[in-house]
Amino acid sequence: MGSEVLRVEDADIYVAGKRILRKVDLSVGAGELHIVMGPNASGKTTLLSAIAGVEPYEVRSGKVMLAGEDITNYPLHERVEKGLVLAYQNPPSFKGVKVSEILKWLRRKFDLDPSFTESLAEILDIHKLLGRDLFSGMSGGERKRLETYLTLSIMPKVALLDEPDSGVDLDSVGRILEAIKLALKHGVSVVLVTHSTHMLNLVRPLTNTAHLIFKGRLIFSGLYDEVVPLVIKRGFEGAAKALGRWS
Amino acid sequence: MLNRNMAEAARKALSKPAPYGPDVDLSKYDILNPRRIEPTEILEQERVRDASGRLGFTPEIVRKAGYVQVNEAYLASALVESLRKQGVVVMSTAEALRKLDIAREVAWTLIRPDTDKYVAATYLYGKEQGYFIYVPPGVKVRTPIYTCLLITRGMTAQLLHNIIYVADGAEANVVTGCSIAGLHAEALHIGVSEFFVGKGAKLTFAMIHAWSKGAVVRPRTAVKVAEGGRYVSYYMIYSAVHSLQSYPKVTLGRNASTSLYSIISGEGEGVYDVGSSATLAGPGSSAEIISRNLAKDKSRVVARAEIVGESGPSKGHIECMGLILSDTAYISTVPLLDSRNPEATLTHEAAIGKIGEDQLTYLMSKGFSEEEARALIIRGFLSVEAPDLPPQVKLSVDRVTELISSKGHG
Repeated sequence: MGSEVLRVEDADIYVAGKRILRKVDLSVGAGELHIVMGPNASGKTTLLSAIAGVEPYEVRSGKVMLAGEDITNYPLHERVEKGLVLAYQNPPSFKGVKVSEILKWLRRKFDLDPSFTESLAEILDIHKLLGRDLFSGMSGGERKRLETYLTLSIMPKVALLDEPDSGVDLDSVGRILEAIKLALKHGVSVVLVTHSTHMLNLVRPLTNTAHLIFKGRLIFSGLYDEVVPLVIKRGFEGAAKALGRWS
Repeated sequence: MLNRNMAEAARKALSKPAPYGPDVDLSKYDILNPRRIEPTEILEQERVRDASGRLGFTPEIVRKAGYVQVNEAYLASALVESLRKQGVVVMSTAEALRKLDIAREVAWTLIRPDTDKYVAATYLYGKEQGYFIYVPPGVKVRTPIYTCLLITRGMTAQLLHNIIYVADGAEANVVTGCSIAGLHAEALHIGVSEFFVGKGAKLTFAMIHAWSKGAVVRPRTAVKVAEGGRYVSYYMIYSAVHSLQSYPKVTLGRNASTSLYSIISGEGEGVYDVGSSATLAGPGSSAEIISRNLAKDKSRVVARAEIVGESGPSKGHIECMGLILSDTAYISTVPLLDSRNPEATLTHEAAIGKIGEDQLTYLMSKGFSEEEARALIIRGFLSVEAPDLPPQVKLSVDRVTELISSKGHG
């Protein structure tokens, strides 16, 4: 494992006053790709959103550490400045806000690496979206590719990608995978939530680590090969039972 | 020289309120005895720079403006001379009425002096201050003609009569900025504007208003567009105001078209009652009315829009959007479609809301502070695609849009 860049320690995670996840521990090393799996409504988006600091998700006990710094109480945009960025599963649409305007702002704010962003834009086929309103009237593939671009382009320490492959055609999945590869090569750590067997197979050469969330708990953190084939074969509940984490 | 019958009707209308907006006691203002001041070096005055700067007009634009009215004084610039070479006339309406038949023929034909007390006062006491612009047939003036109507003294009553005549096949872009020096000054501004767009002609008219908490503003505008002509209006107000009421009316001939955009940014305790009306009088005519309305503090914004389908086939569309930035602000949209012809297709859409929390949070998840995110969302809301605006005019509009969005924290 590379040097630890993200650590979630003994965290209880709440949404609007209700506890959704309990006692979560998670550790991500620099430049690593971690897969997070779990059935619908098991708390995957909750986990990523709470780590990112999106309201109304909150870590009530426990800590979120980024590169050794306790960021548990940092507001959302300050976490981004520290290098922790969330890619939304369903970003909202904006009328009148051009993609080019957002990119211009990001360039100014984060002093982006032009060769990295140019390669990323090419991989994700972003250029034809520049004159469009942000996410407005875009296809599923366009939305996911753009959201992945906006998240990775600032070359964060940790990118939290919430189902970047859902509702997306195979070509776009391939592009998103290539973008993840490029980011990893540049030392970005990626936490990837996915449901799709296709994506799980594609990322196998890039990672050894997977996590399984089930019934409000992170019940498995360990080797990809120990859990992913089990989930594909037996489903989430079957895998949880086989792992002895659910009876 | 006043027309006796019109003057008589106007005198009777001096107490006639407008159908919309708060009524104004005109006796508070010095409308009977406007003081004259000398225009010498007036453009160097700090208060003029203050007033014009608030319009997003640089000193360079003001120096080159075709027409500058400061309180009661009028100045022409060197630009007027160069326009004259193309046969284009820019002068005060008073001078035009003395010298030009065309001015005498068209003046007060679209707006009757007895329309309401504001028009009546302008007819009777305004001394035909204001600008007259004439573009001869077939002449296309690419450079925007800037006109500035500025007030630098408190309690001033500025009563103006503006006429633009774009003859058949001609084109012109006119940008008018109206402003006042000092954010608290009390003043009355009435601008009666009559615009004529000839056959196959095109007039793009952008107007930017930056007033003060004490300003009472009553523009009165009527436009007649002849066969195949096009009229584009882009109106913006982004300052505090005591009250503003305006409802320009455009009448379209056969195959004529219009696009009427208004961007209203209400603040303080101001009342902004602003509308646009288009009458599809000729077959093949079309109109679109698009407004974006922001209200913060305790401002009250009423956005009216009306399309009358008199003839067909014809098309009209109203799009009226409101964004409320504070709990004490108010927006009302009043779209009205009035069809008198089965071949007229008229539609409207309207929506009022607040800035979406999901949008704010999303932008903050990409590193925007809340303030930056709000500004971006407001700028997006105000961004109306207006392809007819010349690039130079778009620059002025963008400057003002930037100003509005940067102070749009409700």
